[in-house]
Amino acid sequence: MHVRSSAVLVTGLVIATLLSACGGSGDEEVPSAGPSTVRLLAHDSFVVSEDLVAQLLDDTGVTLEIVSGSDAGTMVAGAVLAAGNPTADVMFGVDNTLVSRALEADVFKPYTSPELDWVLPALRDDTSAGMVTPIDYGDVCINVADSVLADAGVPAPTTLDDLVDPTYRDMLVVEDPGTSSPGLAFMLATIARYGDGWQEYWAALRDNGVSVAASWTDAYFGEFAGGGDGDRALVVSYATSPPAEIVYAEDPKPEAPSTSSMTDGCYRQVEYAGVLAGAANPTGAQQVIDWLLSESVQADVPLSMFVFPAREGTPLPQVFTDFAGSVDDALQLPPDEVAANLSTWLTDWGTVMGR
Amino acid sequence: MSAPRLAIGGLSLGYDGEVFLRGIDLTVDAGEIVAILGPSGSGKSTLLSTIAGVVPEVEGTITVDGRDVTHAPIHERGVGLIFQEPLLFPHLDVGRNVAYGLRRHGVGRTEAGRRSVELLTWLGLPGYESGRINELSGGQAQRVALARALAPRPAVLGLDEPFSALDTELRQRLAVEVAAMIRESGVAALHVTHDPREAETVADRVIELSALGH
Amino acid sequence: MSSTPVWLRWTWVVPAAFLTVFLVYPLVVLVATVTSGAGVSLIDPLLAPTIWQVTALATVQALVSTALAVVVGLPLANVVSRYRFRGRAVAQALVTVPFVLPTVVVALAFRSLLGSGVPQGFVLVVLAHAYVNLAVVARIVGAQWAQHSGDYESVARTLGASRWRAFVDVTLPSLRSAIASSAAVVFVFSFTSLGIVLLLGDPTTRTLESQILRQTSVLLDFPGAAATALVQLVIVTAVLLGGAVAARRSPARRLQPVGLRPLPSRLGARTAVLLTAIAAFVIVLAPVAALVAASLRGGSGWTLSWWASLGSIDAGTTRLGSPLQAVLTSLGYAGLTAAVAAVIGGLAAIAVIAPGRARAVGLLALVPLGVSAATLGLGILLAFGRPPWDLRATGLLIPIAHSLVAVPLVVAVVAPGLRSTDTRLMSVASTLGAHATRAFWTAYGPVLRVVIVGSAALAGAVSLGEFGAATFLGRAAGPTVPVQIVRLLGRPGEQSLGVAAALAVVLVLLTLVLVLIVDRLGATPSTRRSGTA
Repeated sequence: MHVRSSAVLVTGLVIATLLSACGGSGDEEVPSAGPSTVRLLAHDSFVVSEDLVAQLLDDTGVTLEIVSGSDAGTMVAGAVLAAGNPTADVMFGVDNTLVSRALEADVFKPYTSPELDWVLPALRDDTSAGMVTPIDYGDVCINVADSVLADAGVPAPTTLDDLVDPTYRDMLVVEDPGTSSPGLAFMLATIARYGDGWQEYWAALRDNGVSVAASWTDAYFGEFAGGGDGDRALVVSYATSPPAEIVYAEDPKPEAPSTSSMTDGCYRQVEYAGVLAGAANPTGAQQVIDWLLSESVQADVPLSMFVFPAREGTPLPQVFTDFAGSVDDALQLPPDEVAANLSTWLTDWGTVMGR
Repeated sequence: MSAPRLAIGGLSLGYDGEVFLRGIDLTVDAGEIVAILGPSGSGKSTLLSTIAGVVPEVEGTITVDGRDVTHAPIHERGVGLIFQEPLLFPHLDVGRNVAYGLRRHGVGRTEAGRRSVELLTWLGLPGYESGRINELSGGQAQRVALARALAPRPAVLGLDEPFSALDTELRQRLAVEVAAMIRESGVAALHVTHDPREAETVADRVIELSALGH
Repeated sequence: MSSTPVWLRWTWVVPAAFLTVFLVYPLVVLVATVTSGAGVSLIDPLLAPTIWQVTALATVQALVSTALAVVVGLPLANVVSRYRFRGRAVAQALVTVPFVLPTVVVALAFRSLLGSGVPQGFVLVVLAHAYVNLAVVARIVGAQWAQHSGDYESVARTLGASRWRAFVDVTLPSLRSAIASSAAVVFVFSFTSLGIVLLLGDPTTRTLESQILRQTSVLLDFPGAAATALVQLVIVTAVLLGGAVAARRSPARRLQPVGLRPLPSRLGARTAVLLTAIAAFVIVLAPVAALVAASLRGGSGWTLSWWASLGSIDAGTTRLGSPLQAVLTSLGYAGLTAAVAAVIGGLAAIAVIAPGRARAVGLLALVPLGVSAATLGLGILLAFGRPPWDLRATGLLIPIAHSLVAVPLVVAVVAPGLRSTDTRLMSVASTLGAHATRAFWTAYGPVLRVVIVGSAALAGAVSLGEFGAATFLGRAAGPTVPVQIVRLLGRPGEQSLGVAAALAVVLVLLTLVLVLIVDRLGATPSTRRSGTA
């Protein structure tokens, strides 16, 4: 039996080798166009204008190949497991809740981009000792369906404290922090705001009729009155959801969105890029990070991904300046504190919410 | 004697909206075997299916033991069927196959078992009751099918080319045996075949299907 | 068994090699990576109560889902695969549609349909699971039922059995192998369900698969995820083996290729058949109708602009190509998957009926159903997503992953049909002097052809609707339709919802067309024939 199964294994390996010989070899040895190809591992939300990819090729000779890594959490999980022999050269989209897990696993190789000098002062030092480079940031905020509240004759809430007020009973829908990235950010916001009292806050939310959806899609389109057929007036979403609502509206576009964001109690998510340790093309990977921080890509970021550019002085589109929530004092937790406590927090949250 | 066990009046044969024979009149007495002769595809099988209620009648009346069963459901007609294939239930043993009809007529399990043993013995298959049906030869299987059909004492038995899947020698021997059993049981039998020799061997009367109606 | 062709003993080699390379090897790589750290224990997570609580919850949920799918699926299988009526082919294809809809789409459709009438939780999850898995029951059982002439039932009826009694006593036992196979598959799908339990569930509907995802992607607790995945694999394998054993014990019934029968002429029976067919249409189409409505509804009333923007939305960015391009991508993958799954799965199914060890391989082909999708995705990524064997550029990884999902289905569909074919047919053929191989084809050929073509359709359909592997192993430039839909639903705005709905409708239509074509190809001359006289 041993002989037989190892024979099967050998057969399999031969087939696999043949397969890889047929198609896979081109990538490393014979870069098809230009002097080098760089593989960029990015989560599903990553998007950039094709012109800019062409410009990258023109300026540096780098051909960009984007490799999809599912959602950010799954992508980082894959990167951690593949640490040292990565599936790409550079990774974009690891955020401040996940970055310390990636650092622990030695996923990255240090790189300090010359473009870093142009990054907003608040983010400039946020590089985990030169391992990662901040590219963009966004704020997870409570979004409000204004007309629904107006019809009910209720003023929009302005602080996290308001949400436990009976005025807003049965009005809020949040996402499960165990299955949703904005849901997790909102939970972290409450921990950052209330410290040890965060569980009491959630108990109060629960008693005030908060609904928990599994995903942002389900919450926003399924339960939120401002997104689809739902009847809830408040949802955990992004500060940039109102401008996105305009951009992705039917023509002719409405003059103003039907939703707005509450600017208190927002949690700031920073997205980083980093050169992967063991990358086949580390030089090209560095060039891609420089490119991600370049003026033109940074200017493209708001309308492509609905996040704010990290580069200081990048002009924002008008729909952003008009309608995106402008958050002055976003909440944040240190990444290593998040990494150390996340499992416990999620369990505690589940206990409080009966989930 | 008394009234015929099976009486058919003005019956039309049809399938899927198409009528191919009208105005069939026919009576069969107790213990009598009537052979219906006709080429394949002429509607012989449909005649049996119609009498049994498997194919709903187009028009006419069917009377069994003086009771009008024209609109009765299949299981309340007292008409049994034997097909070319024995169609024994593969998940039941021989005895349970034979006992099936008895159980459906409210006979208790023990009693049904006892009677099926009797029937099997009578048909020359003593001790076969706990055998598996896939261990039977073709002739044995068809005999079990006969035992199963006769067990609940139907008034009428339709036999649809029952021996055509068997080889010639066995076919003739079985035909004679079965005919004797049928007469003894007192059922009114309609035997459908395309083979004139077989019809002559088993039947008291032979009728061409085409002569039955128009 | 002297009449068994020699090659029959070796059919297991191909599926075995395929499974070894693309299933076993990636899992070995993954487990080796996870356990390479110091002090890693797979035992500790197994001692935590959570894993067993979730197992119990998921078992109950999956049992109820399976029962409902079988109870609703049986009448569907009966009507759709046995009776001749106008629109039958479309009805049969329609039943397959729910199976391939991305779960996020099913969830949204259920939500907009049932609204607040059915609260999120156990009931909604069970309804959704039954809805999605109707095709499994209707197709697998239907394939077998279609070969029943109804003679056995007639015999039982003439022996005094009522219609219902004949169904219970005769029909059900003869469908046992198909019911057991399909029930095992539905149980496994419900037990390992992810999307639906996340989107429509509550704490009582957690599954091991949702635990694995949380452990992998949120907590990055790989040993914990590995332990959970192991428990799931063991349970699922046990269920599938149980299903296979139950199916094999099923006695052979004499099967003939029978034509479709006309509708019963008795009014009551005819009405019952037609009502079942109509119910099938309503059940399947109601959520689809909700999608169609969503694809035509804008902020200010009805609109065609979402459909108009199918070819242009997000043009000029790296994100999408266009939704229409995704359709081509998906079709390509579906074609490859159908071919691979039909070959590998068909050979594995033949192995199931072959003597000796080959049968074990056929049963092992069912195992991928139990491997957590997240686990398998990571494993394939580690094994074939980086040097020395980087297969991503070949575009083969997605069809391979889809085939791993589809092959067990194909085996589940093909094997019962083969198993219930009377082996005496083969003996008869060989006593008449047919060469062993020809005897095999005489006995099994017609059945084999029908079920393999049907399986290819099912596999293609699986590929069309699959989301997890496609997002994981794909390249950003070539997303499939489900990936597109999910991406669109991941951002605000009525356009996102509208175009996603339009794309979902396209997916439904694609599936319908695919299944219709394949059904037509797979129909034997006798099933095309109008009827039996």
